[in-house]
Amino acid sequence: MSAVVSSTAPVQRAEAYVGHQHPGYALGRRRLHVVGLERLTDRVLHVELADPSGRPLAAFQPGSHLVVEAGEGRRNAYSLTGDGFNPATYAISVLRLDGGSAWLHRTLEVGGELEVEGPRSMFPAAHDQQHALLVAGGIGVTPVLSHARAAVRAGRSATVLYSYRPGHAAHLDDLHELAGRPGSRVRVVEATDVKQTRVSLTGLLADQPFGTHAYACGPSGLLEAYEEAAELAGWPASRVHLERFVAPELDPGDPFTATVASTGRRVEVPSGTSLLEGLLAAGVPVGYLCKQGVCGECRLPVRAAAALDHRDVVLTAEERQSGAHVMACVSRGRDIELDL
Amino acid sequence: MTTTTEAPVPPIAPLDTPAVRAFLAQPLDHMARLPWPFPDGYEAFRYSVNVDQARVPRPTLAGEWGRHLVDLGGAEYPTIMAERRAVLAADPARVKVLPGMELACWDLLLYYFRDLALSYPEVMHLDERVDGDADRFRWRNDLLGTDQEFTLGREETLPCGPLEMLAREVPDDLLLVRERDGRLHFDAGAVTFAAAWSVSFDVGMDMYEIHGPVPRMTGSGMTARAEQFLLRMPADQVFRRVNWNVAASPTRTYDISLEALPAWAGDMDAALAAGTAIPDCQLRIELEHFVRLPMSGAVTFNIRTFMASLAEVRRFPAYAAQLATILDELPEDLATYKGFAHLIPQMVAYLRS
Repeated sequence: MSAVVSSTAPVQRAEAYVGHQHPGYALGRRRLHVVGLERLTDRVLHVELADPSGRPLAAFQPGSHLVVEAGEGRRNAYSLTGDGFNPATYAISVLRLDGGSAWLHRTLEVGGELEVEGPRSMFPAAHDQQHALLVAGGIGVTPVLSHARAAVRAGRSATVLYSYRPGHAAHLDDLHELAGRPGSRVRVVEATDVKQTRVSLTGLLADQPFGTHAYACGPSGLLEAYEEAAELAGWPASRVHLERFVAPELDPGDPFTATVASTGRRVEVPSGTSLLEGLLAAGVPVGYLCKQGVCGECRLPVRAAAALDHRDVVLTAEERQSGAHVMACVSRGRDIELDL
Repeated sequence: MTTTTEAPVPPIAPLDTPAVRAFLAQPLDHMARLPWPFPDGYEAFRYSVNVDQARVPRPTLAGEWGRHLVDLGGAEYPTIMAERRAVLAADPARVKVLPGMELACWDLLLYYFRDLALSYPEVMHLDERVDGDADRFRWRNDLLGTDQEFTLGREETLPCGPLEMLAREVPDDLLLVRERDGRLHFDAGAVTFAAAWSVSFDVGMDMYEIHGPVPRMTGSGMTARAEQFLLRMPADQVFRRVNWNVAASPTRTYDISLEALPAWAGDMDAALAAGTAIPDCQLRIELEHFVRLPMSGAVTFNIRTFMASLAEVRRFPAYAAQLATILDELPEDLATYKGFAHLIPQMVAYLRS
């Protein structure tokens, strides 16, 4: 998974605050060494990073991502492909698109440095899963590989559906290697066009053992097909997990007013401008990253609102109903009083 | 459900080093380390989500608390750990680990060993990358005489499970909560010093079930807010909370769990009959620490118990007066839940005398 996160530096937590004493728990901005580069396909570059002084890196849950500096103030998020258990290195796979990913492809070299932040866990495994159905589309294979590796380490079973275009199957060999290990309980199913993918999704979602959790990462078309097939097969939503890397298109919305409760400051948010942009322009500091309603960084507490239009993919149905928070980068409303 | 199997308990044998001697020679002063639970001017107690950043030292009239994640208890440390190990040996069911929590237990062990070695470098040591293997560690605790090599994630390299291993080294009761189906559940624990509750009874419960008996808690939305806090707790910070009670036994017994009820249930009545109860009543403080563990995402709800008798509290007139005011004001439902409603008039009179 990869997501463009922001073009200007957001409010960051300072590494100086000693939340954790041991360097093996550091999550703040820091520079790592590039210790390995491998071209997996003509458009995917695999990058391995290590601490420059050989100190341990923070462990992470499978499905976590790393935020990396991507040139000209850009910061992108990439899924880590390892299982997260006491990692000696961090590994990400970067699909070359425009902007930050192209910069990484162009600039990175072994022995060089890269500024990172995290890992952050937004796509974890359910602790009590009996089995995992892992669905990957294209570069969405990266968190799926992380989950598959964690399942193998824990001795748990997983079924992987990997949908890719022939010639663009990054990490397919890694998945086969996992499945081929003695005693491995990982099975890999491949699909190389839309029709095959739909047939496999329908078939796999209709035939999973009791206690399975399903996870998917890929382009929005695949995720829609996945959600539809899961619903048709009667899956409860709490067992159907997904990670988006392309945010849905949003309409510009109506203008509205937001009030900062502590100061009484009123901020007018015009149509086509987000609440986040409105607040930042008015000098109200708000931390943010993805500006896509995906990462959860810009969650703001709401004291009162005449209406809230939640357009993020972070808040749960329960949280939306409670109206206690709003994701400032995408969501809108009417007369929102922010508890800031 | 798996229960860690009983294993021979290694005896406590402090190393004879200058650092160990100095550590164990510290004066015993129960008030000096006690996290005084009430802010200045605080006169009426109600439950609240009173969380605070951890590892910030707080001075009190009697000393200081909160500098480290783990307070070993000074010279009392070997005594506390002997009680802990005796309870674990006699009742292995005090350690409960639900399926799927194994990784969280390793996460916890490594986090605490790393932290202890940095907090107490003269007497505790963690070697990492033993023989160049990133997963191999060697833990040495000179105060108890522990010297244990282990491979992370490999239970057969320890004399017991990782949760019990840590429980033998630190005075804290260890509790791990994790999210299941959108709610936080207490799914693993090594608890020997529960104040009138039982790890076997509570393990597997969600926060609402555990706090059901606490008056004014769930109804006021506090359970929901506490759960939201723990669910959203950032991974790069460590938090703590202080809770208090007057112990049901007027002795320095740490284990006043429901499992041990027959052993302590008669203590208060016997002391009341003998006329010695009130000065010996123990202000019992729970210092809870919350850490989100990186490999598993589980959150700790570890509880370190501190005690000081009312006689010890009375050495500090400002604290005695504050505690008397708070006890006097305490609404009856809260006092009844805490279990000392019938003692309040005598305690208040004693603290004010």
